Amino acid sequence: MIGVLRSLGATMSTMLRKPVTIQYPTQHRQVPERDRAFPILLWDFDVVEPFCTGCHACERACPVECMTVTMRDNPKFAAGESKRRKIIDEFYIDYGRCMRCNICVEVCNFDAIAMNNTWSGHELSSLDRKDLVLDLDELLALSKTKQIDPWVPS
Amino acid sequence: MTVLAWGIFGVDMNVWLDAFLRLQIIVIVMTVTVMALIYLERKFVGRIQMRLGPMRTGPYGTLQSVADALKLLTKEDLRPATADFWLFELAAYVTFVPVFMTLLVLPIMEGWFVRDLQLGLFYIVAVSGVTVIGYLMAGWASDNKYALLGAVRSAAQLISYEIPLILGALAVSMVAGSLNLNDIVYAQKYVPFALLQPLPFLILLTAVLAELSRRPFDIPIGESEVVGGPWVEYSGIRWSIIFALTEYAGMWGFSILGALIFLGGWQWPFGTASFWGDFDFVYQLILVFGKSFLLILTIMWISATFPRLRIDQLMAFCWKILLPFGFLQVMINAIVLTYVDSELPRDILLFLTSGALLVAMSYVIYLATKQPSREERIAAIVAARSTP
Repeated sequence: MIGVLRSLGATMSTMLRKPVTIQYPTQHRQVPERDRAFPILLWDFDVVEPFCTGCHACERACPVECMTVTMRDNPKFAAGESKRRKIIDEFYIDYGRCMRCNICVEVCNFDAIAMNNTWSGHELSSLDRKDLVLDLDELLALSKTKQIDPWVPS
Repeated sequence: MTVLAWGIFGVDMNVWLDAFLRLQIIVIVMTVTVMALIYLERKFVGRIQMRLGPMRTGPYGTLQSVADALKLLTKEDLRPATADFWLFELAAYVTFVPVFMTLLVLPIMEGWFVRDLQLGLFYIVAVSGVTVIGYLMAGWASDNKYALLGAVRSAAQLISYEIPLILGALAVSMVAGSLNLNDIVYAQKYVPFALLQPLPFLILLTAVLAELSRRPFDIPIGESEVVGGPWVEYSGIRWSIIFALTEYAGMWGFSILGALIFLGGWQWPFGTASFWGDFDFVYQLILVFGKSFLLILTIMWISATFPRLRIDQLMAFCWKILLPFGFLQVMINAIVLTYVDSELPRDILLFLTSGALLVAMSYVIYLATKQPSREERIAAIVAARSTP
């Protein structure tokens, strides 16, 4: 009998507590700093060009082969503005294939690639598979507009 | 005497027309209340589980029941090929109509009811017992093992718990000296019967929980055992009739009944005092609805707290605890009411006897559910080991 009353008290005290629900589409929970969404490329504001030199390290390491990288000579190196001899020409990542393993970030020698640790990396549903293949501009957009505080292994 | 006691809007009119209009009012109020109750239950149970409940449809999810109703009404009307057509179709109505019929005699304010029956309480008990036939019909007609099992379970449970329900209602009607609900309410001008008769109040609350097949008494419709009981094969509009209307209208009806016969209806605590002359019915309505919503919240609270009972526990609780103590209460009431004439000592005696019975019942339940303590269990194991 006392147990009955105590259990009623327990539910009542739970009722008076604050609900833990997060109203998801309108309200987002804080994602952690090392959250692994999808890889993006980073922008070097000092030299005004991408960090990426197109060295193919990430492309070779990628277990699901979702990346396509090409490299070209860096015109800014010839002008003496940059220390990068080569620079990225074309970069495609197929987010439909990527399995978010973080290996590309680990192998990158230039800290040029990072995992998207914002909510924009999670809400990517689209009606067409082709929309999930991102080109260089789209991959750099987040970093260029300073919407991201990336985490890179040092 | 308020305006509404006379004809329907103070106009003297044909008896049948008057009854028809009153029925319409009951139907509309019932439908709106049922929708409000569904919303209330989802919110309340959500808060108990530290959720928010419905939030998206309308401000704070207030239109959720409207959306649910629309969805249910537009759903495909399914009936199993092997089902018995007439029984299957009629079962929903056989369950719902008795619940609606109980609402006809409930005086929700002074002098307002569809019909004032001298045997109002008896009538309610009689018609609400018909519901079980609907359960059995649905279970049999669905041609489904789970439905039949659920139907037999609900028959066992509903018929068993009907008796404590009757005994609880009988005890108060003895004190009031009438089966007319109006007279019972008038008898509670100063003290509500829940105070004079705490034991019948608890018995009635428990029996109502069982009659409505709510947790912890939901073995007839337990999802994890018989996947919805008699209503497995029902969907769409028929299911909405059963679920929304029967369950919630039944809950509302029984809560108003409880508010009238135990919590003093529109009388207690203000008595027949007139505050606003012809508009007294407003505070009477607020009183009755407030009390009934209090009971409804208690029912929801209880059903959100306790896990489902086993069928033998359920039957034992009814037949070994509620029934004997209900009978004892009725007998003691009879003795007290026969031999004590003056008002005050009679009330005190009623309260004392009922309170003593309540304590005795709690003690019996305590004895029945007592588990040996840890030390005792260890001692028993040690003793069993040491004997060769």
